[in-house]
Amino acid sequence: MTILRIASLLVPARQRAEWLAEWSAELRYIDRHRPQMALRFCLGAFRDGLWLWRNQPFRFDSAAACISALVFAAVATALLALWLRPVHLLGPLEILVAAVLSLLILPAVTTFSPGDYSGHGRAHRWGFLALKIALLVPIINFGSLDLGVLIAPQMQPHGLIVGFIAGFRWALLDQRRRCPVCLRRLACPTRIGTSSHLLLEWYGTELICTRGHGLMHVPEIPASSYSMQRWVELDRSWKSLFDVPAL
Amino acid sequence: MTAGPKLSHTAALILQAIHAGDGYGFSVMEMTGLPSGTVYPAMRRLERDGLIKSQWERQSIADTEQRPPRKYYRLTRSGHAALEASQKRYPLLAKLTEAGQ
Repeated sequence: MTILRIASLLVPARQRAEWLAEWSAELRYIDRHRPQMALRFCLGAFRDGLWLWRNQPFRFDSAAACISALVFAAVATALLALWLRPVHLLGPLEILVAAVLSLLILPAVTTFSPGDYSGHGRAHRWGFLALKIALLVPIINFGSLDLGVLIAPQMQPHGLIVGFIAGFRWALLDQRRRCPVCLRRLACPTRIGTSSHLLLEWYGTELICTRGHGLMHVPEIPASSYSMQRWVELDRSWKSLFDVPAL
Repeated sequence: MTAGPKLSHTAALILQAIHAGDGYGFSVMEMTGLPSGTVYPAMRRLERDGLIKSQWERQSIADTEQRPPRKYYRLTRSGHAALEASQKRYPLLAKLTEAGQ
């Protein structure tokens, strides 16, 4: 039961009581009939909890929630750095060099290609990306300072470069999974097609904007017809299918 | 073109076990031989996709058997359609769950 309670911390708060009730009820039955299976059964709860955590519907869904979380992280890392008082501080030029170096390494871990949006909301999409990167710079800088004090000062430059690569990669991946109209995270990823039918049909993942703005086709293997992810706008006739009216 | 969603073998097996068995998590584990860490997330996914739906057992039934109420899963109409399609795709599906029973 203790294992289940620890695993329940992964489950979103509003689902936790019901989730724990379901697992506890099954555990009671297993304890009575197959006690040797109880430990293995309980360890599986972590995977279930993790799945629910990853698939919760509201997780920095809107652009405002994402920016608020980044502002919070920037303030928290800055306050921690002020409290820890690091001795070895890197200058702006060194931070800039680390950022440029990270940008040179970045194509090895992700693509720069934003996708084919046919001109949808270009200004606010790029503005949102710029704001995310602008907030990531202080988070990574102060975060590496904090790490330097807590672990070893020599780690700070390495932490800065690794942090920039991870941060920029996240910013690009997050950008590609957002609706170009409302900037909310796209939902319901669905695998379409099979690799053996690549010649006649497209093969990949389809995501949808929960506000009904459109669909994102993400090819599994870039082909001549689908070399990059493509946004398909849904017209107003689809509007009645979505609970929340389109903005 | 594909007629409906294609389920993975594991998802189809779980769907078959829910259909043929008692419909609670542990019975699905016993019938399929899959661990809890595979069965429960797969059932959440199937429920999210509208192929199964869950319902809590009535407290009075659980009280009679002196245990906490269980959550039961059963197939929806689209779940039945998906299972039929999967049985055509994986002909041994029914036999696998029979063997697990």
